[in-house]
Amino acid sequence: MTRFSLIFLMVAGVLLTCTACKKEASETVIPPLETKTHKNLAAPGDVVDRATGKVIQENPYVYFSLEKGTTVSKSENWDIGFKGTSIIFNSGISGSGQAGAVIKTGVFEELTTAPESEEFRQDSNEGLAVPAGSNNGWYNYAGPPSHLITPIAGKVIMVKTFDGKYAKVEILSYYKDAPATPDAFKDQSATYTFRYMYQADGSKNLK
Amino acid sequence: MQRLSDKHKLRITMKNAATLFIITCITVSYGYSQARLTDSIAAVKLEEVVVTATRTEKQLGTLTTPVTLITQKQIKALGAVRLTEVLQEQTGLAINNDHGQGIQMQGFDADYTLIMIDGEPLIGRTAGTLALSRIAVNNIKQIEIVKGPSSSLYGSEALAGVINIITHQPKDDLNGGVNVQYGANQTFNVNGKVGFRHKKLAVSLFADSYQSAGYDLTPTMEGATVEPFRNHTFQAKLQYKLNPKFKFSLSGRYFGESQQQKANIGSNSPVIVSGDGTQTDMNIHAVAEHKLTPNVQFKYKLYHTQYSTRSLLRYEQDQSVYDESFFKQKFSRPEVVANYYINKQHFLTLGIGSTLESVEATRYTTQQRFSTLYAFGQHEWTPIKKLSVITGLRFDQHSVYGNQVSPKLSARFQALPWLAVRGSAGVGFKAPDFRQLYLNFSNAVAGYSVFGTQALATGIEQLNSAGQISAVFADISQFQDLKPESSIAYNIGIETRWKSGLNTSINFFRNDVQNLIETQIVARKTNSQSVFSYANLREVFTQGVEFNGSYRLFKNVKLMAGYQYLIAKDKSVVDQLNNGEVFKRDPQTLVTTRVRPAEYGGLFNRSRHMWNVRLFYEHLRKGFNASLRGIYRGRYGLADMNNNQILDTDNEYVAGYWLWNASLSQRLYKELRAQIGVDNLFGFKNATEIPGIAGRLWYIRVSYQWQKSAPGKTL
Repeated sequence: MTRFSLIFLMVAGVLLTCTACKKEASETVIPPLETKTHKNLAAPGDVVDRATGKVIQENPYVYFSLEKGTTVSKSENWDIGFKGTSIIFNSGISGSGQAGAVIKTGVFEELTTAPESEEFRQDSNEGLAVPAGSNNGWYNYAGPPSHLITPIAGKVIMVKTFDGKYAKVEILSYYKDAPATPDAFKDQSATYTFRYMYQADGSKNLK
Repeated sequence: MQRLSDKHKLRITMKNAATLFIITCITVSYGYSQARLTDSIAAVKLEEVVVTATRTEKQLGTLTTPVTLITQKQIKALGAVRLTEVLQEQTGLAINNDHGQGIQMQGFDADYTLIMIDGEPLIGRTAGTLALSRIAVNNIKQIEIVKGPSSSLYGSEALAGVINIITHQPKDDLNGGVNVQYGANQTFNVNGKVGFRHKKLAVSLFADSYQSAGYDLTPTMEGATVEPFRNHTFQAKLQYKLNPKFKFSLSGRYFGESQQQKANIGSNSPVIVSGDGTQTDMNIHAVAEHKLTPNVQFKYKLYHTQYSTRSLLRYEQDQSVYDESFFKQKFSRPEVVANYYINKQHFLTLGIGSTLESVEATRYTTQQRFSTLYAFGQHEWTPIKKLSVITGLRFDQHSVYGNQVSPKLSARFQALPWLAVRGSAGVGFKAPDFRQLYLNFSNAVAGYSVFGTQALATGIEQLNSAGQISAVFADISQFQDLKPESSIAYNIGIETRWKSGLNTSINFFRNDVQNLIETQIVARKTNSQSVFSYANLREVFTQGVEFNGSYRLFKNVKLMAGYQYLIAKDKSVVDQLNNGEVFKRDPQTLVTTRVRPAEYGGLFNRSRHMWNVRLFYEHLRKGFNASLRGIYRGRYGLADMNNNQILDTDNEYVAGYWLWNASLSQRLYKELRAQIGVDNLFGFKNATEIPGIAGRLWYIRVSYQWQKSAPGKTL
């Protein structure tokens, strides 16, 4: 019995090391993708009159390019648009690109592969790819008395860019400088801090 | 002094002076059902009698369900003025601050405890909580707290339990009393009562005035923590004994309060709005009691109550109106209850009734009404002296949410002369409230809309025809069938009574709650905000154990202690945690990690541990009383800080705290008494997290009681 076990273990051990060697050898050395953090993207929502509920000042979306890692103008190749708590993507009713998005539940680092194409949603009249509203998409609205908007932990937006490449985005804060204890009355709101990973080679790999 | 008949008070003093020291709820237990068709004042009553648990008079020591009794004597020892002050010192009860101070029982929010005065419900829960500060305590004979569901007797709201405030009945003797109390925050309370009997008519009257300058824990912010207020309470009771078989009573109560309001609504530069808010609460109650035979009694009851609030806020700058709102609720109930004493072993209570309710408010389209028809029955079975078994069943037929059946079974067994075991299993429910059914509200600033389930279809239609709906996510017709929130509860307890004077009771409880009503998104508006309505969504459980003990340390010193251990969790959160689907984000590093099931602290605002230690001293001959009470509330969850909506890290808790209260009382001359006291002796404050605690509060009180025995009176 013991001898058999020993042999078995040895064989298993050899097999394991071999597969490990083989794998290492066959992989071309790809530098790990970089996770970038974009701070304080200010995208104020429309200004609403308290008494009537009517929009008195309409604000534009603020557009972001994942490839460039900066905000861009609407005429450029943008991927994501921000305004207040609304997030849009460059396709469908929002733009002329082929972007899309889907929210996944998990840890940013653990979601290492982009979903299949059919999983991605586009902004349409039936709904935005990242649904608006509290506890519906990426955020929660606490209501009175704190009135805080908080990004829900574990919600990662898997993104298809305007030109069909893949990325993932995690929104970290809705307030300027991402304060540890935000105050909805003092801190500037609609000011996004988010981190993202962009895969330039067109593959689904997001490791 | 215990508020028994004053005539008997003397007799008791002679017979058994020691009994008067007993301030505890646990007293001599006979272990034998004493339900009988006697008048409310039996011969010499050493035993405290409770009515809430069974709707009939039962000795405290014979009950099958966990009950706390607070006597008038205890209330006086606390120097309490409002009901909140009394209840916060009781084991297992915590103050809940949500649009008024309510009480948390067995881990349930204040919405789930039925509050009654003399057996009839109080209304006026504008946002769920019934503010207990509405209730003055100086005309209270006793407070009965029944834990665990009592829907089998009382229907909706009696899910966590029932608090029944028993006010004084008119007495035979000409009697009266005056209390004057002044304390910190310019708090001034004066009240008086008078009672007399003329032939077959007995009358008692009570009036109370209470005012305070409020307090401000955050002086830098506009508006005080509690703004100045003033309120009045009046109560009158009439009793007419036509003959030994017929008795009529009529009682009425009025409460009115006005309070200043002030707030800063400006986001950058201050914009001050201020005004007055008022609330009134009225009820009237007529009862005819008819003893058909010595063993059959009928009670015909008619109860009406109404509650209203009004608030007007103006901009201080130009006095233009910022917000004007009102709320009016009415509730009427005819009821017939029959008691049938079959024999020593069987006792039956049957009842039938109907409630009619209506509400009108700023946020409702029109006046809304609903009605309930109900019937209940309860059978008390005492096969042997040591055992009693109570079976109860109630059926409610509601005009909006349909039928509800609430059974309950409970039993008590006096296993040994010093040891009794009791247990109960029952169903409790809470009907959807007016908000959940009829609210019609659109937030002008944020742009979202909320509709009650019955107002949803028309609300969506209106928004749609105005071109404001972009997508509907749910089947709107399904929202019509909103079900009541309901629970199944188990309570098991052991009571002991030792020769040494040590009494203990322990109660284990478990409540499984389903169909909890929460807001749900129904549709999306063109402004990409949501339309909400209400649906039966959540399931939670609460479980724990409550311990009470009392012990006479010395002849004049009584020590009482209480403890509650509580676990309350959302079942779906527990499932998600077990599946590894809940995450947290460190607010400093912004790194997201998975939450382990063990990290879940349960529902917010529940303390796992609550303690109290209470010491009472009484020197009868010298007329001196003193008390020192400590109440500990263990740490509890306040708010989510790491973006996952659940309680799971240390910084989401409010630290536990002790409150110490003390009072001294001395008889000056005959029934003239002076009392001084300090609540929150060490001035505990937590302005940001617990604004309901004002800091150290002193008070002085002078009270005078008088009575004149009417000779030759029979009961």
